[in-house]
Amino acid sequence: MMKEMTMLSKIMTASVFALSLSACGGKDAPTLPTDNIHTPAQTDYMRSQIKIVGSSTVYPFATAVAENFGRTTKFKTPIVESTGSGGGLKLFCSGLAANHPDITNASRRIKASEVKRCAENGINDIIEVKIGYDGIVLANSRKSPRLELSLKDVFLALAKNVPDGHGGTTANPYKTWNDVNSALPKVNIEVMGPPPTSGTRDAFVELAMEGGCKTFDWVKALKKTDKPTYKTLCHTIREDGAFVEAGENDNLIVQKLNANPSAFGIFGFSFLDQNVDSVQGSVVNGKAPTFENISNGSYPVSRSLFFYVKKDNIGKVPGITEYLAEFMSDKASGADGYLAEKGLIPMTDTEHEKWETSIRALETLTLD
Amino acid sequence: MKTAMEPSVDLTLRHARCSTQIKELAIQSVLIASSLVAVLTTVGIVASLAFEAFRFFEKIPLTDFLFGLEWSPQTAIREDQVGSSGAFGVIPLLTGTLLISFIAMLVATPLGLLSAVYLAEYARPNTRAVIKPLLELLAGIPTVVYGFFAALVIAPIIRAGGSGVGFEISSESALAAGLVMGIMLVPFISSLSDDVINAVPQSLRDASLGMGATPAETITKVVLPAATPGIIGSLLLAVSRAIGETMIVVMAAGLAAKLSLNPLEAVTTITVQIVTLLTGDQEFDSAKTLAAFAIALYLFVLTLGLNVVALKIVDKYKKQYD
Amino acid sequence: MTDFAQKAYTLETSPSLKRRHAKEARFKWYGRIAITIALSFLVFMFGAIFLRGMGAFQQTKISIEVTFSEQVIDPNGVRDPEILALANYKPILTAALTRTFPNVIERRDKGRLYKLLSSGAVYEMGKLVSDNPDLIGTSQTIWLPASSEVDLFMKGKIDTSLPEELRRIKNQDITYIKALKQSGQIKKKFNTAFFTNGDSREPEMAGILGAALGSFFSLLVCFMIAFPLGILTAVYLEEYAHKSKLTDLIEININNLAAVPSIVFGLLGLSIFLGVFHIPRSTPLVGGMVLALMTLPTIIIASRASLRSVPQSVRDAAFGLGASKTQATFHHVVPLAMPGMLTGTILGMAQALGETAPLLMIGMVAFIVDIPQGVTDAATSLPVQIFLWADSPEKGFVERTSAAIIVLLAFLILMNLLAVFLRRKLEKRW
Repeated sequence: MMKEMTMLSKIMTASVFALSLSACGGKDAPTLPTDNIHTPAQTDYMRSQIKIVGSSTVYPFATAVAENFGRTTKFKTPIVESTGSGGGLKLFCSGLAANHPDITNASRRIKASEVKRCAENGINDIIEVKIGYDGIVLANSRKSPRLELSLKDVFLALAKNVPDGHGGTTANPYKTWNDVNSALPKVNIEVMGPPPTSGTRDAFVELAMEGGCKTFDWVKALKKTDKPTYKTLCHTIREDGAFVEAGENDNLIVQKLNANPSAFGIFGFSFLDQNVDSVQGSVVNGKAPTFENISNGSYPVSRSLFFYVKKDNIGKVPGITEYLAEFMSDKASGADGYLAEKGLIPMTDTEHEKWETSIRALETLTLD
Repeated sequence: MKTAMEPSVDLTLRHARCSTQIKELAIQSVLIASSLVAVLTTVGIVASLAFEAFRFFEKIPLTDFLFGLEWSPQTAIREDQVGSSGAFGVIPLLTGTLLISFIAMLVATPLGLLSAVYLAEYARPNTRAVIKPLLELLAGIPTVVYGFFAALVIAPIIRAGGSGVGFEISSESALAAGLVMGIMLVPFISSLSDDVINAVPQSLRDASLGMGATPAETITKVVLPAATPGIIGSLLLAVSRAIGETMIVVMAAGLAAKLSLNPLEAVTTITVQIVTLLTGDQEFDSAKTLAAFAIALYLFVLTLGLNVVALKIVDKYKKQYD
Repeated sequence: MTDFAQKAYTLETSPSLKRRHAKEARFKWYGRIAITIALSFLVFMFGAIFLRGMGAFQQTKISIEVTFSEQVIDPNGVRDPEILALANYKPILTAALTRTFPNVIERRDKGRLYKLLSSGAVYEMGKLVSDNPDLIGTSQTIWLPASSEVDLFMKGKIDTSLPEELRRIKNQDITYIKALKQSGQIKKKFNTAFFTNGDSREPEMAGILGAALGSFFSLLVCFMIAFPLGILTAVYLEEYAHKSKLTDLIEININNLAAVPSIVFGLLGLSIFLGVFHIPRSTPLVGGMVLALMTLPTIIIASRASLRSVPQSVRDAAFGLGASKTQATFHHVVPLAMPGMLTGTILGMAQALGETAPLLMIGMVAFIVDIPQGVTDAATSLPVQIFLWADSPEKGFVERTSAAIIVLLAFLILMNLLAVFLRRKLEKRW
């Protein structure tokens, strides 16, 4: 053993030595790090594998489709990275070269500024794909009673500033749910939710907070006269500890809700769906966050999910059209598809069909 | 034996082409070149951080950053979105980082020092041979494991314990992250201090014992005072490690940037913010994305400063007994 | 002599001495308690993770008799393994299930029945047939993975006292499972898929091979860069360099790099390796490069210590026999120092294996199913996979996260044992 080891160390020494000898005869610094760095990347190759980035909300669905696509076709399984909607669009719009992604997922629609950015980098033809809907739930542990909230309650519980009743605003004074609405229990407000960087937070703020904010008539009137003030009031979440930014790790939030029955968590419907045995979604405006209520639009806090594809890369990177076909097939995003099992709220049959045909025709995006 | 011959064969072949002198020179330049990689790495770090940080400071004044009391990087990421105040004051992040590090050191310092003293002065060689690697195992466990453990096991226990005695403890408390990080740091402090204690000349101990002092008295009154500078150095190194730790706090500490020293609340740290800013939604060149580089630079300077001071102290101490 | 003993006796009984001795004993106990606390935490953590994770090494499987009909699998009879693997096995599976449960007729009930098996079961059949085309035309009893819900139920992780609508496993499913249990057709078996598969969205199909190979390739790149650079640097600083401004600068740099937070190296990789040199994202190549820069100081510091411990007499002897500087160093000193250098390198590699934070910055946090074949294939790494699974909504991933941690810890302990072994066996005391 000992002998072999000494042998090993001699071989090691020899290799290091040989490496240093190779410098002999002129070239100055072959072991500078830059030389290690360049070599493989400079060649401009096209990938044989689809690259997907984007929203963490769409991530569970995109990965499920990618996996099935990889297993049922001869193509390689696409790589899916969760970068957030905006981060994904940034990478997506950076260029057409091989090191930029082919597809980006988004839990909101692409913005005009982002389309412009794409065009600046030569990406003119983008295919938009709507995949379905997602509900955002305010959930707590089953060990505690289920809350029945209105959007106004949600707003009053979580806003940084609230109307003071005299036409002005004041820093949020509410400590317990009971302070917000006397029908609610006397439990401290403690809500764990996504950070500002998350698309879920965007949607929650736009749908739930603003929805509740608008119920004050003077605030609603403010929208027309002083939009910035209106938005600041309606969109700003309190930072005094009642709202805890818990990261994008929704699974950890669910586990923390189990440990802390008085806390609430804000996350996508798919996480509620996977954990119905331990957490429950609060009723909002009389509607429970169920599959049916979200798909028929009566649950107030729901949004559409999308992904975007570079048309130019079709044909260059193998498998993109097939991936699109898999995603839009009935067995995936249809009413009884496997994505519904993962918690996606599918589109109605007619809407699904409409999208399927436009995508099959590879129609590109035009923003109105 | 055969393998050992190979380089010399190689050598004789090369001999024909270049004289021994050139060869020696060439080898030396290769050696220098590889040594410069370390320097280049530092340059690379500083350059990449400073470049983006500089662009950040074009948008946000340096004083606002250094002395601002509010951290709320939610500047509007689109024209039609309302961010909150969009404040980029680093102080809340710093207090959060220091709070967690302080809790960690509160756990790690006594455990680490006492372990080191016991191992260095009392333990029999056999015991030492078993205990030391076991303690070092704690340092070898990946931080993602500590993070998982802190978030899913320790935090609920602390919360349950807290509500048992009537404390309201947030589910993401600085306490949970700090406690677990403290355990992680124990082997750091213990092995560094162990070295330092061992470096104290035996003559000092012998003198003290010869005067009739008990071993404990010798340790507390002679060995430890003699080793103090080295121990302080090792503590500073541990602090620098705690400040830069990422995964534990990402998984267990939360994101609430509050100016609070209450260990029962959720706080955020510099490293958590870097991860959040760079893995969440990013706007092109927004102050938010650039802010990640600015706080990373801040972190780099902070740990570098601590480290330089720590190494200076240790160095001075070493010379004292050399 | 007696005088002396007498004196000792009085000292022994003096109250202050007693107090001092008690203090001495207490002090000793403080040390023991400190060590006990630290080690019991270690035991507690390992225990908690083992308890959570052991379940994942077993997977519930269901045995059914399937007929691999040629008409369904390979109607043209070409026996191309690729076609065999991609064929539609669903009809075969449903037919087999219907035969096992002849009483289930309703479409809805059948739907529930099919969901007892993993959605990956058909792919396993495809693999089986493409590996062994002779199966076509025969009837076989095979064990197929059950779905994650059934698996959790079999492991007692589903609370059946909850009302039915709150459970993902319904009463109807339970009657099916009971029937299968009675005929011995459902069993927990060793979970080979966990060690041979890449990532998956179905917990029962998810494995760590992809992540483990990703780690392996990253470490390979890391080793190829950091080991030569580290050793050459150490040799330069210990054997060649005279103390100068340059060596001071290098030394300060190395010592400080050792203390730079790992996430900062990730940012370096993000802006230089990805941003300037355009190395493909998410690959072990870029991951290994970042890890190499990170572990370089560890290797250099250990190698220098090792070189320093080689006695001067070895060098003097070599010089005395007419060896040049290079010959003395590389033929005599470095081989003698190699065990220590290797030990340091292994410890550095172990540290790199557990590192997560810098990899978050360079796109290695991704969903990657295909097993990486080389350093330029996209890959994750073991710790990143743990981080990803901790984030997955499916309940089946809870135990798999802990199981992945167990595997990672096993690798780390192996590497550390190897280092300890090298140190014990090879390190010479001069």
